[in-house]
Amino acid sequence: MKRKHLFIILGIPGLALFALFLSLDRAAAELEQPASGAPLTGGVDNETCLACHSVPGMQMTLPSGEILYLTVDRETYNNSVHGKGGYACVQCHTDLTGYPHPSLTAATQRDFTLELYQSCIRCHQDKYDATLDSVHQKALAGGNKEAAVCTDCHGAHNITPPDEPRSRIPKTCEKCHSQIFDLYQDSVHGAALIGEGNPDVPSCIDCHGVHNVSGPSNQPFHLYSPQICARCHSDQELMAKYGISTDVFDTYVSDFHGATVVLFEKTAPDQETNKPVCIDCHGVHDMRKVDDPESRVIKENLLVTCQRCHPDATTNFPNAWLSHYRPSPEHYPTVYYVNLFYQIFIPTILGGMGIFVVLDGSRRLINRRRERRHERNQ
Amino acid sequence: MSETSKPKAVPEPKVLEEPGERKYLRFTRIQRAEHWVFMASFSILGLTGLVQKYASARLSESFIAGVGGIENVRQIHHIAAIVMMVVVVYHLGAVGYRLFVRRVYPTMLPGMHDVRAAIQSLAYYLGLRKTRPQQGRYTFEEKAEYWAVVWGTVIMVITGFMMWNPIATARFLPGEFIPAAKAAHGGEALLAVLAIILWHFFHVLVKTFNRSMFNGYLTEEDMLEEHPMELADIKAGVAERPTDPAKVARRRQTFFPVYAVFAGLLLLGIFAFVTFEQTALETIPPADDVEVFAPLPPTPLPTPPPTSTPSADLVLTWDGGVSELFNSKCSACHGSATQLGGLNLSSYATALEGGDTGPGIVPGDPDASQVIVKQAAGGHPGQLSPDELVQIREWIEAGAPEN
Repeated sequence: MKRKHLFIILGIPGLALFALFLSLDRAAAELEQPASGAPLTGGVDNETCLACHSVPGMQMTLPSGEILYLTVDRETYNNSVHGKGGYACVQCHTDLTGYPHPSLTAATQRDFTLELYQSCIRCHQDKYDATLDSVHQKALAGGNKEAAVCTDCHGAHNITPPDEPRSRIPKTCEKCHSQIFDLYQDSVHGAALIGEGNPDVPSCIDCHGVHNVSGPSNQPFHLYSPQICARCHSDQELMAKYGISTDVFDTYVSDFHGATVVLFEKTAPDQETNKPVCIDCHGVHDMRKVDDPESRVIKENLLVTCQRCHPDATTNFPNAWLSHYRPSPEHYPTVYYVNLFYQIFIPTILGGMGIFVVLDGSRRLINRRRERRHERNQ
Repeated sequence: MSETSKPKAVPEPKVLEEPGERKYLRFTRIQRAEHWVFMASFSILGLTGLVQKYASARLSESFIAGVGGIENVRQIHHIAAIVMMVVVVYHLGAVGYRLFVRRVYPTMLPGMHDVRAAIQSLAYYLGLRKTRPQQGRYTFEEKAEYWAVVWGTVIMVITGFMMWNPIATARFLPGEFIPAAKAAHGGEALLAVLAIILWHFFHVLVKTFNRSMFNGYLTEEDMLEEHPMELADIKAGVAERPTDPAKVARRRQTFFPVYAVFAGLLLLGIFAFVTFEQTALETIPPADDVEVFAPLPPTPLPTPPPTSTPSADLVLTWDGGVSELFNSKCSACHGSATQLGGLNLSSYATALEGGDTGPGIVPGDPDASQVIVKQAAGGHPGQLSPDELVQIREWIEAGAPEN
């Protein structure tokens, strides 16, 4: 009887405590991922803000004369990743927990953005750190205020996953790089992604990186770029789907241009070079299929492409490039047979010499041993 | 001028009597010098060439890095090639001089006796013959070596020219010949280097250490072993054709001008070889004409609904227009629902009452009215225009009539 009491006295609160810990633990786990480091709400809920800021047409004039729009669309925010996650306005707008709001320090719309995007860092430090190596942050640090910051690509109150659908990625870059986008969307990659939603082709960020966006103004990017192309173009499984050769990188490296570029990349990746990488012949953003009449590397157009660096080149010259083929009796037979000749000639000659050398050497050893025996016998 | 101020190279004696042994001159100073210059250029070419042929090998990479990059490796390779070609021009002169002026026997020419000597050697090695074949000044092994170098040099010069001047080559030959030339250049190089290691090193370093390329002389013992026929000729005094100094002098007078022209043409050829074409631009070709930063026109933001413009005939009463103005400009924050700062401008009574900082409207005293105070400071969200502000001020001065 006493034991039963003991169980009730200790057991029930124990179980309750266990359950409490369990639920706390789960709550902590849920919070941990997105909200670590997120500032507290300060008890100001979104409805407080939206009471004013949902009124259409709310705006104020900045010292620059530009209009700063202050209206936030409730629906848009609630459908954004942060809205769905239940984040509060004041977790980003940390200075706006009371009214009257502190007066603005930004004189222009852009300055306002540049002040406010710092809020992103509080929760997304790793992404921000990655951007520090990017062309955008370098341009910004160099005084170019137009350089993209978080909200220029992701939006502010309307942030949704940037790759849903994946074709949204180039559209995002288009906002600032519209001419490059125009080239890309007609390229073999762009047409497949934007037109067909093909998941295999690269979008902008697959080559340039996501937050640490780099480009030709980062010099190592240029010398490294063939290896970016090779990531997909040496992938047997992926290329088999489209019947594309996976030899392209290896054949490039075994040729003069590629061998030089790869060595440059290893010894001094920062140097400028005029030795061509993939994009110098195939086009930077407008690479085409090899049967596209606009392709720079089809036979009809190849001479013009060669002449960019070899201005004196004539009709026969492009054929000095093996077009990514490994020499075979069908493709570049002269090269194939020269190689075959030396594959037979070298072992034959060396083998013949080897027979003479080995026999001569052996005879000398035998003679020497005989002489010694002879001397000993005397 | 005294005799000593013009030192003349003393020709090395053909036979050197040393205690215990007699030595025979095999290579003169200048021949040795030629060998070593050729050897140096060959070694540098082999080394800098093979690292390019096997550029991705770890060993090649560290060599290339050590030399300061692939451009330097290529530069050194080209310089060594020029040196080798100049040695070839010299060699042709030296051979021509011996053949046409001194009229020595062309001992390097191969013949059927060399084939026989090779077969007899094999038979001797295998124990099928008691003695080695008796060979002359150049053994079949040496002739094989010499003519291999001649063959190799011809191939290397032709294919080297094609790679050095691909644009010129493609004017006359199919473009495919350039990578074929590269294949042959690499194959030939590998063969040459391996042959030197296997054949030459065995014959001059391993089987005996042949000093003749260092000091010029072979001992009588070595001569007997390797060149017994030549030794016999030397001893019989018939190794060289008898020369008539007057005839030699005459031949020299013809030979030197002819060779000077010939050598001049060849050197010009080498110069052309090196400077024939500028294969590629040395500058960075211009990038495509694309504007990197070409922003799309910004998405237009929603235009605010037209504010009730203060009409000139605005009747300056609460009901006549002031209420409507407050409703459109202020009610977002100071409406009955929001009442920020405790201020509610939705009714005349609450407007007069004001908020946390004091009465909103004090009839007759605009400067005491918080609506005017806050708005006059500027920068208020929902800022009234200057005209509107003037009208509200007038309305308050007029006692802020309700209707």
